[in-house]
Amino acid sequence: MKNILLIIVIAGAFFSSCTTTAPIAKSVAYKGIYDEKPLTILLMPPINRSTNVESKEYFHSTLNIPIANAGFYVIPTFLSMEILKKESAYDAELFLNSPLTKFGEVFGADLAVFTIIHKWDKSGLAAKVYVQVEYIIKSIKTNEIVYTRTGDVTYDASVSTGAGGAWGALADIAASAINTAATKYVDVARACNAYTFKDLPAGKYSPTYGTDGELPAGKKIFKANLNSKYR
Amino acid sequence: MKKTLFISITVLMFASCTTQKPLYTWGKYEITSYNYLKNSDEKSTQELIETYQNIIEKQKGSRGVVPPGIYADYGFVLLQANKTEEGKAMLLKEVTLYPESKIFIDRILKIIEE
Repeated sequence: MKNILLIIVIAGAFFSSCTTTAPIAKSVAYKGIYDEKPLTILLMPPINRSTNVESKEYFHSTLNIPIANAGFYVIPTFLSMEILKKESAYDAELFLNSPLTKFGEVFGADLAVFTIIHKWDKSGLAAKVYVQVEYIIKSIKTNEIVYTRTGDVTYDASVSTGAGGAWGALADIAASAINTAATKYVDVARACNAYTFKDLPAGKYSPTYGTDGELPAGKKIFKANLNSKYR
Repeated sequence: MKKTLFISITVLMFASCTTQKPLYTWGKYEITSYNYLKNSDEKSTQELIETYQNIIEKQKGSRGVVPPGIYADYGFVLLQANKTEEGKAMLLKEVTLYPESKIFIDRILKIIEE
């Protein structure tokens, strides 16, 4: 009897840690993606509206992995950057509200990913970074928004050594200091992207392509606490 | 018997929680591509090339193929470093593996010829 109770309690704890509260299925929330069956994705250069000039590059270098790992073909970023510059189309702000058909012709892209960094603030003492970032994926064919999520992310950049007590805290500070700034901030953007795109519908190269529609979509507007261990 | 049940339930629950093996592995892609984007100097170019080679030769993703865009961007970086023939060969490898890339790879090849 005791054993069965224990199993139920443990099971409950496990399941509660896995489920999300959003009740909307991905096939409903991201209907455009399931209808259109896109393959090729163009990453627009991130739009930076924050006070941190560097944050654009942090995002630019980290967007393609979660999207490619979801099963899509992501147009290589250095190549697309070169072509966008040649076509005088490097400022994504200009295309946020205008037709995208040209990108279909030039790149053969089905979807365009816009990233708007609204906030990127650091708090020195606590080694925390606060980011507000909005992702908008538009269909190049219909110009409709097929996916959008906005996150308020608090990233804890202090590296935990796992050691407890006062000495542990000192060791933590030392460990944080060797963390170079660039590595740290690239990881902030990586974690934001990885967290957000967790609910992206599976693309054609994924084994779950076409069968993941019943899974829940994440919240459109979310808050998250992340760190370097988030994958 | 009870033990078996407990173990199988536990395993099942863990299985539903753990993330699956990713489609592709990327090595140090993020930081090395950031450094190249930022600096484009000899050191960052060399490090990015090493990352590309690593992704190609030591690919451990579940698809067992090189991820989208890696051959193409590797080729592009080689072109920037004046290794034209090697670069072109990489671009063509991308088209073979991912035919959807042909449209913009052709465009880049044309830009190089100009």
